[in-house]
Amino acid sequence: MPLSDSDLLAIWLSLRLAGTVTLVLLLVGTPIAWWLARTRGWWKGPIGAVVALPLVLPPSVLGFYLLVAMGPSGPIGRLTQSLGLGLLPFTFWGLVVASVIYSLPFMVQPLQTAFEAIGDRPLEVAATLRASPLDAFFTVAVPLALPGFLTASILTFTHTVGEFGVVLMIGGNLAGITRVASVLIYDHVEALEYTEAHRLAALMLIFSFLVLLAVYAWRPNPKKGS
Amino acid sequence: MENIHACFRLEWPGFCLDLDLTLPLTGVTALFGPSGSGKTTLLRCIAGLERAPHGRLTVAGEIWQDTRHWVPTYQRPLGYVFQEASLFSHLTVDGNLNYGIRRISTTARVSMEHAIELLGISQLLDRKPDRLSGGERQRVAIARALAVNPRLLLMDEPLAALDLKRKQEILPYLERLHDELKIPVLYVSHSPDEVARLADHLVVMETGRVLADGPLVQTLARLDLPIHLGEDIGTIIETTVGAVDDEWHLMRVDFPGGNLWARDSGVPVGHRVRVRVLARDVSLADRLGHSSIQNVLNGIVDGIGDDQHPGLALVRVKVGEAMLVARLTKRAAASLELQVGKQVWVQVKSVALLE
Amino acid sequence: MMKSLFLVLCCLWLAESAAWAEKITVAAAADLKFAMDELVSVFKNANPGAQVDVVYGSSGNFYSQIKEGAPYDLFFSADITYPEQLVTGGLAASDVKPYAFGRIVLWSGSLDASRMTLESLADPKIARIAIANPQHAPYGKRAQEALQAAGLWDKIEPKLVYGENIAQTAQFVESGNAQVGIIALSLAVNPELASKGGYWLIPDKLHQPLKQAYVITKRAENNALARRFAEYMGSKPARTVMIKYGFGLPGEGSGNQGNQGSQTQ
Repeated sequence: MPLSDSDLLAIWLSLRLAGTVTLVLLLVGTPIAWWLARTRGWWKGPIGAVVALPLVLPPSVLGFYLLVAMGPSGPIGRLTQSLGLGLLPFTFWGLVVASVIYSLPFMVQPLQTAFEAIGDRPLEVAATLRASPLDAFFTVAVPLALPGFLTASILTFTHTVGEFGVVLMIGGNLAGITRVASVLIYDHVEALEYTEAHRLAALMLIFSFLVLLAVYAWRPNPKKGS
Repeated sequence: MENIHACFRLEWPGFCLDLDLTLPLTGVTALFGPSGSGKTTLLRCIAGLERAPHGRLTVAGEIWQDTRHWVPTYQRPLGYVFQEASLFSHLTVDGNLNYGIRRISTTARVSMEHAIELLGISQLLDRKPDRLSGGERQRVAIARALAVNPRLLLMDEPLAALDLKRKQEILPYLERLHDELKIPVLYVSHSPDEVARLADHLVVMETGRVLADGPLVQTLARLDLPIHLGEDIGTIIETTVGAVDDEWHLMRVDFPGGNLWARDSGVPVGHRVRVRVLARDVSLADRLGHSSIQNVLNGIVDGIGDDQHPGLALVRVKVGEAMLVARLTKRAAASLELQVGKQVWVQVKSVALLE
Repeated sequence: MMKSLFLVLCCLWLAESAAWAEKITVAAAADLKFAMDELVSVFKNANPGAQVDVVYGSSGNFYSQIKEGAPYDLFFSADITYPEQLVTGGLAASDVKPYAFGRIVLWSGSLDASRMTLESLADPKIARIAIANPQHAPYGKRAQEALQAAGLWDKIEPKLVYGENIAQTAQFVESGNAQVGIIALSLAVNPELASKGGYWLIPDKLHQPLKQAYVITKRAENNALARRFAEYMGSKPARTVMIKYGFGLPGEGSGNQGNQGSQTQ
């Protein structure tokens, strides 16, 4: 069952989108997770809830608001236009922005858990060994939270690959730009091309299963370590 | 200015730390007290791990904290040993030791060989912390704290998390540390044994306040504020092993102005050893008689105070440079006509070697 | 207390079941949204007690769902081929009945579409043009045919974005993310969109007719209400509503010629 060129293009786009989103979220999500894990302020609750929102919001809500916000009279749209970036809907980077928001909890929450599990002590030790807070973050917190980083990255990547609703609502279905694998499956079904849909859908199913299998099989033994 | 001046006031729900303390920057200073007395909090305030809102801290004349200054922990030239070893689990023993070394200036670096040898961890350098025993981990943690060549070493109950066997394993290393390194140490403990063995200076704390502080020997010999270090009041004498009697399995420990016989514990002649004499093991007499008690010393009454029970008195006697405290009934004190300056015979029933 | 609550619930359930015989569910193509709402309310006025639920969506999707046993009694498709396939597959309880011809228009919320022609789409100032996905949406197919017939497809294709169905296509334009769209006339004339901008009717010579048809599904074979609703579709009041919403009717030419551009603000 060979895949067609458009299938391959969509799969490649899905992987490229997921990879970009994972990288962006590593940069954006890590400080948020760190802050949420360390702060004792009253802001922790509201910010934590905002981060978790995409977990419970229907993609249609996010997609609708994003389309309006990124549009010519929306706040994001005005910003991107004033920066000379044009409008984000129907572009690859529009999908990246939407997916970053949509996948935010999948990066932040495992990281936050990992950071919280480290506790204060290793950082206090680092401080008594002359490491500044930033130094201690990179040389102690990050290495100790490495399993968390791995889990968070894999979940973010897989979740972005599996994203559908938001992409459908702001993507405009452009081959090689916004027509990711999940949307193409939908198109195949809509066009009654069930064989093609099956091929791609089965591939997605196997991919997701294997990734999750890897995550669960790789769980580090919590009893280990001092 | 070779001292630490610490003045902290800190209020938490159900706890209040309030003290103004000057500590010497030499030898081992023990912060002693029951749990909840604030000794760990004091240590954390000195390290900068806790920030008392109204605090002032100077170390050897350098301001670490006052209303306008705050030196963060990582800029304070100290070493810290936590109750649990808290080694970095992602690094080997060697990596743990080098973590601090790499962050101090090259001129401040000292050879680690001595500390590694002192703590007996040279065989462990390639191991990860999860492959070490509890005692080994704590030794590595101590070496790691020493590696940054600290001007002040803070130790927060470094033995509390260990069982008796492990404690016995580490105590000798701590004593060597005390004897061979010139780094001043603040040592938090609630163990009388550790304090008696290691401390030169004693700070006794209770509910966030300082009850007493001063040189160990003198502080323990105070009659106005008797300090129960363990089960009874007692004094400490610094001695040197003077002779060993193989026939009777005894050894003689000497101190300026006298000596005592104790069971031979195998400490070689010429070694320094601390002994503790409890008040209940000391009796006084005005003339010598034949008795089962081997240790009879001549001393001068230095002070008389009340014990907790109204029928009992505590009498401090000076023997050479050593201090001994005896507990006796007030009737006995009266019949001996004890008063400060009077010469008495001191009978010591039991001597505890601290090692 | 619990007992009486239970009794009340039972009564409600029985009442619901009793009314069940007088209930139909209609699956309708997205372009029928406004027309069907009015058709149903007119029908209900004439048939008190009848319950008509309408589900809007894409015709292809409905076709797949009906094939898998979805509980729709009537299927109004935007493309006659789907009902035809249902009849072929033995899943219909009636003939395929054409009910309207759809028309496509240029519509914009930000530009004056009534003064445009298809050629205007080549204007470099227009960066994004929304059409429904020609792969499966009937209106998208017709839009593509029209652009091809006008010789503009190659020039315009790079600017196209594709809506999942004709309603989403309209939303792309309505939100301003696409400046112009090719949408159903039936959507452009509804007040929500008409208040925001005018339209230009694309000549139906440029594309295959958007022949729309409905069938009664197999599961509604013995449903009297479904039959009555089907009959009603051919009645005078129903036809009036359809014309009002911009549909051409079978046997009357493909209509609504009169009001080209008349909705301009």
